[in-house]
Amino acid sequence: MHLQSIPILLAQMTTPDDIVREAARLQRNYEFLSLGLTVAWVLLVVYLLFMVSRWRKLKREIASLKVMLEDRQK
Amino acid sequence: MFDKSRWRDYLLHLFGAAVIVILARDINLIARLPQDVNQGAIFKIIFFHVPMAVTAMTAAAVAFVASVLFLITRDFRYDALAVAVTEVGLAFLAGNLITGSIWGHIIWGQWWAWDARLTSALVCWILYASYLMLRRAVEEPTQRATFAAVWSIFSFIDVPIVIFSIKWWRTQHPQPVFWGGGSFPHDWLVVFLWNMLAMVLLAIVMTTVRVRQENAQRELDSLRRTAHAM
Repeated sequence: MHLQSIPILLAQMTTPDDIVREAARLQRNYEFLSLGLTVAWVLLVVYLLFMVSRWRKLKREIASLKVMLEDRQK
Repeated sequence: MFDKSRWRDYLLHLFGAAVIVILARDINLIARLPQDVNQGAIFKIIFFHVPMAVTAMTAAAVAFVASVLFLITRDFRYDALAVAVTEVGLAFLAGNLITGSIWGHIIWGQWWAWDARLTSALVCWILYASYLMLRRAVEEPTQRATFAAVWSIFSFIDVPIVIFSIKWWRTQHPQPVFWGGGSFPHDWLVVFLWNMLAMVLLAIVMTTVRVRQENAQRELDSLRRTAHAM
């Protein structure tokens, strides 16, 4: 792989059209990179929230069943 | 006195905090790294795409081992581990497929290609999703765990196909950076490895929480049976 910073990339362009095209390409790249990372993180966060809600529901159900069983035993 | 469960909680919180710190630091570092000349900024998606794939495939391997151990020992702790790690692995594989698709849209000009790597990865996701659906369909716990273990072992057949598909067939998916003749600059490699560590730690935290849920679910089922019998 070859790495270069953005100012060097733009300096290699010869015509104004090239610079505009390259700047548009960079912009589009950044937009989609942000989209990719956002989607990946939203997916994991949603899954975490789903886990938390399931955990709360389980705890609530266990507590209510325990109370019910204690009441029945009395 | 040494309290095992309390220490487990501390460790879990410590891992969770470490994940947040590492990822926050890495996002900052990734943004500052220079761009790839040919692909531009989108190439940086590799910092999430590959660790997510590695985590998902590791999760599948753990599910396979847990399923085999369940069939040998009939110990439900292995069944709980298998379902927990499968669900977490599925979330990571979904992230891997989505980030890959977004990369493909920029580099290939299309969201999806039916090549061997992408197709086998999608099949892998469907197989493990059907594992979770199968568990919902069977009510009796022992039968559910047995069927699910067999299905998990069968599903694992696809994992080596996903990993080696790019070696076995000519695919549109690029060759891997590390065992395909490519290389990373040192500063990229350091960030990449830290991100990989963060993903694996995150998967460990999620799996541990999910195992606890599975144990709580078993306790709930047992309480329901007791209530029903009274």
